Amino acid sequence: MTKLPTSRVGVVLLAAGLLVYPLVFTGAFYHDVGVSFLLAAIAASAWNIVGGYAGQISVGHSMFFGIGAYTPLLFYTLFGWSPIAGIPVAIVLSLGLAALIGLPTLRLSGHYFSMATIAVAELIRLLVSTWSFVGAAIGLQGPASGRGWWDLTFRSELPYYYIFLAVLGLVLAVTAAFESRRFGYYVRAIKAGERAAKSLGVPVLQTKMQALALSAVFTSVAGSLYAVKTGFVDPGSGFGILVSVQMVIIAALGGAGTLYGPLLGALILIPLQTATNNWLGGGGSGLTFIIYGGIIVLIARFEPGGLMELWYRLRAKRWRKLDAAA
Amino acid sequence: MPLLEATDVSKTFGSFRAVSGASLSLDQGEIVGLIGPNGAGKSTFFNCLAGDMPPSAGRITLDGIDLTYASADVHARAGIGRTFQVPATFEDMSVLDNVMVGAFLRHAHRDEARARAGRIVSLTGLRPDQRARSLGTPGRKRLEIARVLATEPRVMLLDEALAGLTPGELQEAIALVRKIHETGVTIVIVEHIMEVIMTLTRRVLVFNQGHVIASGTPEEVVRDEQVIEAYLGRPFRREDRRD
Repeated sequence: MTKLPTSRVGVVLLAAGLLVYPLVFTGAFYHDVGVSFLLAAIAASAWNIVGGYAGQISVGHSMFFGIGAYTPLLFYTLFGWSPIAGIPVAIVLSLGLAALIGLPTLRLSGHYFSMATIAVAELIRLLVSTWSFVGAAIGLQGPASGRGWWDLTFRSELPYYYIFLAVLGLVLAVTAAFESRRFGYYVRAIKAGERAAKSLGVPVLQTKMQALALSAVFTSVAGSLYAVKTGFVDPGSGFGILVSVQMVIIAALGGAGTLYGPLLGALILIPLQTATNNWLGGGGSGLTFIIYGGIIVLIARFEPGGLMELWYRLRAKRWRKLDAAA
Repeated sequence: MPLLEATDVSKTFGSFRAVSGASLSLDQGEIVGLIGPNGAGKSTFFNCLAGDMPPSAGRITLDGIDLTYASADVHARAGIGRTFQVPATFEDMSVLDNVMVGAFLRHAHRDEARARAGRIVSLTGLRPDQRARSLGTPGRKRLEIARVLATEPRVMLLDEALAGLTPGELQEAIALVRKIHETGVTIVIVEHIMEVIMTLTRRVLVFNQGHVIASGTPEEVVRDEQVIEAYLGRPFRREDRRD
């Protein structure tokens, strides 16, 4: 994709910063913020593939996150297996669900897909809340203490940080790889205008389904990482609407349809959330909704393309000035 | 065998019949014009040819292959490319990226698609790195033509691709269409500007109220009484005056 040249130095600095962050900020609190940031960035980057690049706005991605979170812990609860064993099964289930929702709704243009994702995610949440097989309203728990490394149950946050960082690196690498290939051009063309894209030979439904499948896989993995790390999941933390909304807000704040937008969004939103939670405690839990609402209004009013778009625009303006001066 | 053949194509929307039994047979390398008043059914017929909407009746074939109910992307793969009356460029993408979307149809590899797109963009005189959003109407129309050209079509459907241009821009656009035609691309052009029809086409179909009311050379159709009555009008004559 022809775009404003990305500063390689910036990418290297970002990678280096993320690598050394837990070594510089050594407290448990900082590590916890770091892990939360990475998890949010993974989930938002996964959403970004179908919502940001392909423009198919899912407001129910928690269904994939929830499946990713529940399946590993269900495997542990039922068979005593390592939660890792449930991760591939969760991916397969998420792919099946993506096909079930995507095939009938992605054929249509308009908001059918968005509406279907909200409805299905809420339906699953309600079902899970009353289904004792998956712990009903109480949810599921993982191993209290690790029986070995394969349980991925660590006392320190540090191993989680680097595992999450590796997964984030993988999501970004896959996204960067498709961005400059035919698939990347096709998803952007679909977002810009389905009818025109189709007239140029773009197989619209197939491309949208591929984007949804890829997005569902990574969102499911994010859910699994969450469950493995916290060792617990309930209907709200797995399938809650806030899980979906957070992915959308983070991607939109940073820049939906850009590689680093979700990362930037998470970098702003997660510390902000942590700070308000710490200052206000449980009494400030409703503030999250106010922050989300405020961000939606600000983005819609001032910068629909998100902060990355603002950055590209300012940089282009500066270059034009430098060109004029030269 | 004709390259593109539409036989008795009809399209109805509820009880409204937009196109009624229209037929068109195109040979390789032809350039044919479709004219008629607004609402005559030209664009609907065009949309059927492009696979944008399936006809209610009739048959459409390209080189003998039945495309009647095939979707627009299948038409594009078969070799039918189209532009839109209101340019539908990908606004946030650069000129080159817009054209690359078309080029990817025949060239899966990025570098090949980029090279092909670059060559086509240079034909149009547009700046490759310019965002589509920043282009004016003539630029957008050129970009649409370039994008279709990148799909390497056998038949190009131009839907008022030259409308809204200044006389100077019009001459440049006519030259561009000629250049494309010279490469062997068969062209169907819907246009209201008679100068374009008279200059570019060798055969014209005239639509009125969903029917093809006349066909022939441009010189023949402009003299056709039915066409004059329905579309062109005639110069004011003294006997027309009502006292």
